[in-house]
Amino acid sequence: MLKKLYMIFGIGVLAFYATASWFGWEIANSGSRSRLGVPFFYSGFRGGK
Amino acid sequence: MSVLQANCPSCAAPIEFKAGSTIVVVCPFCRSAIARTDRALEDLGKVAEIADSESPLKLGLKGTYKDTRFELTGRAQLKHQVGGYWDEWYATFSNGWVGWLAEAQGRFYMTFYQPLPEGVALPSFAGLQLGQTVPEIPSPTPLMVQEKGKGTSVAADGEIPYKLSPGEQFEYADLAGKNNAFATIDYSMDPPWVFVGSHVTLEEIGLGDAKPVQREAKRVSTAGMGCPNCGGPLDLIAPDKAERVTCPNCNSLLNVNQGNLSFFSALNPLPNQPDFVLPIGAEGVFAGDVKFKIIGAVVRSVTIEGVQYFWHEYLLYNPMAGFRWLVHSDNHWNFVEPVNPADVSQDAMSFGSTVDYGGVKYKLFQDAQAVVEYVQGEFYWRVEQGETVRAADYVAAPKMLSLEATADEMNWSLGTYLTNDEIEKKFNVTGLPRPWGVAPNQPFTGQFYYTWGALPLLLLFVVAIFMIPLSGLTRIALSQEVILPPMTNATTAQAAFSLPFDVKANSNVRITAGAPVDNSWADLDVDLVNDQSQEVESVNVPVEYYSGSDSDGAWTEGSRSTDATLSSLPAGKYTLRVEGTWQNWQVQMPVSVKVEQNVNRGVNFICALLLLIIVPVLGFIRKFSFESRRWKDSMFSVSGSGSSDSDD
Repeated sequence: MLKKLYMIFGIGVLAFYATASWFGWEIANSGSRSRLGVPFFYSGFRGGK
Repeated sequence: MSVLQANCPSCAAPIEFKAGSTIVVVCPFCRSAIARTDRALEDLGKVAEIADSESPLKLGLKGTYKDTRFELTGRAQLKHQVGGYWDEWYATFSNGWVGWLAEAQGRFYMTFYQPLPEGVALPSFAGLQLGQTVPEIPSPTPLMVQEKGKGTSVAADGEIPYKLSPGEQFEYADLAGKNNAFATIDYSMDPPWVFVGSHVTLEEIGLGDAKPVQREAKRVSTAGMGCPNCGGPLDLIAPDKAERVTCPNCNSLLNVNQGNLSFFSALNPLPNQPDFVLPIGAEGVFAGDVKFKIIGAVVRSVTIEGVQYFWHEYLLYNPMAGFRWLVHSDNHWNFVEPVNPADVSQDAMSFGSTVDYGGVKYKLFQDAQAVVEYVQGEFYWRVEQGETVRAADYVAAPKMLSLEATADEMNWSLGTYLTNDEIEKKFNVTGLPRPWGVAPNQPFTGQFYYTWGALPLLLLFVVAIFMIPLSGLTRIALSQEVILPPMTNATTAQAAFSLPFDVKANSNVRITAGAPVDNSWADLDVDLVNDQSQEVESVNVPVEYYSGSDSDGAWTEGSRSTDATLSSLPAGKYTLRVEGTWQNWQVQMPVSVKVEQNVNRGVNFICALLLLIIVPVLGFIRKFSFESRRWKDSMFSVSGSGSSDSDD
């Protein structure tokens, strides 16, 4: 059962990656209105200010 | 010689030599062994009655071997020097062949007399070494000495093709070869006679329907046959096979001689009385739907570096299949079956650290003297406390190949790892104690997570490689310099717009902004404005660059150019609105902006990689830890293991 769940998870991640690549989605982005709403990756150097 | 009818010289009853090859007939009336010679019949003396046996064979049974029909016309019962009996059935073939069907411990061997080529002499009995091959014997496969021993003819029935003398002792050697080849050298003749054949099953010789004599456990409870030490009753499950039995009433070890008991020794109690988790008499169903009964249990030990390690072994018995073992160590279980020693080959390059069996390489795990510490139940050999054999274990999970060798005999056996659940199911019991540690041949059950479980990870690379050409090359949508006029004060931002440009759908967008800052900063907010819908996507692009020198030399920090990436936007015309504040607010700020699409950034890939690699890596770590724990108890610790794994 755990193996099946893991395979479903793995294939899901793979499918999500392929979909994101095809549609130009960036999981980590700097936009104020990200398509996914998760601009969680820091982008740009902000030190020294 | 031909068929001969005559009268027994001892009792005058009619006897008949049916087969032309028959030399001796046992008179069914007076049990005299009557030999026919060129001149007359000769009375060789009385032979004992065949001991009660659960053999599935009997005189008169007809079978087929190599498309030739045969009939069992005689039977000799022989006694092994260290106890135990075996039967040799005389098979008369329809084409005149004379064969011997030996039956020992539930195994059957069909052999035929094999004349040696002229001038060829066999090694002497004393010169034979266990494990050596005997190339003098004509055979398609090399034959290796497996056992040397002495036997005694104790009983016979029917017709015998040689001059059987009751009580006569003889020396013999058993040899085994690949593909079930088997041979016996009979040193009672000079020069020795050789019988060559193979290990057979009853099905192979057309006797698959033969059933053992059904009978209940033989209760030895009379005054003459009870325990000779305490008089208590004893139940023997396999009285025809048993050589030693323990008395549960007085803790004595008794000799068994065809059902007759005699005191051998008192059992020395162990400091901790052994707790056999399966009782004598318990029945379990194993592969092939064969039901085995536990008839004995042994506590054995090895001493390694001064530490004594104990385990339990259960002797299993089935009249058709013979004997097997169930080994219980650290609450791990192994079902152990005998294997043909000739099928086990030493790897000459490994200096004894590996052996091959059935195309699988087994690694040496332990090689020590195993000692019998305690016994309970009945045994087919003359077991005693303190009995010591060399025991070497080779592992390839879930199998373990074991060698037990004495001066006269070497036996290989193959253990198969069984889980507690399997044992509980086989014996219909519950609550067996849980195992601890890792057994030498315990299979690792997590292999899936770094084999098939790594398939999504592999596919990720494939998809990533295919996506590069599918999504196209990076395209520059805008590259322009916009001038922000001087700020009116240090806090009020200035803004400027770029030229309109096209943005395509389904492509990410990277905005790069550069400003000629030097030991200063510019904080830029860049808005992507959709000219049709007026929707705005904003990113903050701070630019700062500092440089200088200190005692360590020159240094720089930051960059005059920074980028930010967005997910794809709806296709259409867009304009950039650049708004910013900067440190030197009194002067204008030229800002170079660039908008690119289809940027191969790799962040999505790294995110997916991290998600998919965690489980396979954890699987590898688990495997490494498992193998480390397996081999830490080995006398021959190795790094890694070629053990095969199971995903059950």
